[in-house]
Amino acid sequence: MTRVRGTGDLRMLDGVERGRRVQILVDGEAVEAYEGECLAAALLASGRRATRWTTRTGEPRGYFCGMGICHDCLVRVEGHGNVRACMTAVSGGLRVERQRDMVERRIDA
Amino acid sequence: MRTVECAVVGGGPAGLAAARTAARYGVRVLLVDENAELGGQYYRQMPAGFRTLAPGAVGKETLDGRRLIDEIRALPIEVQLDSVVWGIFDQRILAVSTRDGTERIEAGTLVLAPGAYDRPVPFPGWTLPGVVTAGGAQNLMKAYRVLPGHRVLIAGSGPLLLVVAHYLLSGGADVVAIAEAAPLRGLWRYAHRMLPHLNFVQQGYRYRREIQQAGVPFLPGHVIRRALGKDAVTGAVIGPCDDRWRPRPGSEREFNVDAVVVGYGFVSSSELSRLCGAAHRYEPALGGWVPVRSRDLETTVPGVFAAGDGAGVAGSAVALAEGHYAGLNVARRLGRLTGRAYAREANRARGRLLHLAGFRRVMDELYRFGPGIYMLADDATTLCRCEEITVGMATAAIRDGASHVNEVKAWTRAGMGRCQGRMCGPALAHLVAGATDSSVEDAGVFSPRPPLKPVPLEVLAHEIT
Repeated sequence: MTRVRGTGDLRMLDGVERGRRVQILVDGEAVEAYEGECLAAALLASGRRATRWTTRTGEPRGYFCGMGICHDCLVRVEGHGNVRACMTAVSGGLRVERQRDMVERRIDA
Repeated sequence: MRTVECAVVGGGPAGLAAARTAARYGVRVLLVDENAELGGQYYRQMPAGFRTLAPGAVGKETLDGRRLIDEIRALPIEVQLDSVVWGIFDQRILAVSTRDGTERIEAGTLVLAPGAYDRPVPFPGWTLPGVVTAGGAQNLMKAYRVLPGHRVLIAGSGPLLLVVAHYLLSGGADVVAIAEAAPLRGLWRYAHRMLPHLNFVQQGYRYRREIQQAGVPFLPGHVIRRALGKDAVTGAVIGPCDDRWRPRPGSEREFNVDAVVVGYGFVSSSELSRLCGAAHRYEPALGGWVPVRSRDLETTVPGVFAAGDGAGVAGSAVALAEGHYAGLNVARRLGRLTGRAYAREANRARGRLLHLAGFRRVMDELYRFGPGIYMLADDATTLCRCEEITVGMATAAIRDGASHVNEVKAWTRAGMGRCQGRMCGPALAHLVAGATDSSVEDAGVFSPRPPLKPVPLEVLAHEIT
């Protein structure tokens, strides 16, 4: 399959068949994703590069180390609390919230 | 608490090889890994449910890994995935947590094969979404077939940069440039030492040719200066550096990008070996603090072996060979492999390691780590990503008298966050050393504390009840 270099879907269009196509909810919006891919990949491919906004300064963070070490891609998943998006597999119906309201929640702000 | 004959922590090349060899000699092995599938980073597999349609669609590492994992699955090895070893108590008692609970496992012998992670290097803009590590970019592309961005700058050092470029290009991304920190001068001087390792050389040459054909500028002696953007990265600036990777004045170049891949080498994940009480030494060329090991790869704690990048960064080939050798020594320790049979196998394994060491030394010289890279950050640059402590805040603590990384940690909270100091530790040690005119070794390393990775309170509470 040909594509113009540097454009289009971030999902590679090569000889791989992905898992089942499912829908997840991110901040209340429906997002198409593939079963088994990590949440971070699904968020990135949907154009959501930030996974959270920090507590102290509110700056955006996203997928960084990609192997469960930096914890910068923490998101809230209903039923599981805070999880690393790079270590969490997509399954249909997952409800995900990016952490953006933590600044107001600080006690000693 | 249950007891196992041998526990192997880490399912990458070293751990897989150790488990396979030990199991072949009849050792009952428990293999624990944090991920949903074996393979670690190098052999990372696609998720279950993903299928290859055309040969060549997935990389050689993925295919090699699949074969090794299949061998492991065919042996009587207990594989426990999605499991974090968050502590080691009394030298060989592992605290292992899954999503639902935690248990203690007493290991008769232990092989630690935790691997390594990309050396975090703070520079202005390094916390922006879209700035990703080389390992992180590889995982995204290898396992999930997702590009980190459409227009990508690669900055760092080492052959991995070429591999990342290969994956990006074959995935259809535009690679704007590769800034390689090492000067890479006088390559011909290494020719005779590389002759026994032609397979590696050929592979490297193929990558270089591909990059050249794609018109990607490859710039030795260049480092990232800063990443630009507000909500995510939109640009990046590179500039020249000296042989110690110190940024030096000269023409800077700015690129419009939506991703920056950064890979300035690796840091050994030695938290587990440090926590179990083994002696460590500081070896910059091997990825920082690494366990002191006997010839047989045993740490200073009897029965605890360490293999692969977690015991000194040397790449997947060495990790495989060390894992195998550690497996032999576990089998000997447990009386399954003795006398001449052991000597024969051990000699062969040591020969293989010796052969690979020659290649490793050339790589170390070519891509010698330059601590000048830590001078990219300014006072406003984030040092500790978790607690949002800047270089300036840490420097103030050092000025007030902190002379060890643990003191800076206590005074500023740098290193107290979720990553347990893995992200800021190496840079902070260099900061302390530079500001106090002491060695990086004297600046020290954060004391590892359980839980080594965050464990939900309900999981811990479950253990208490």
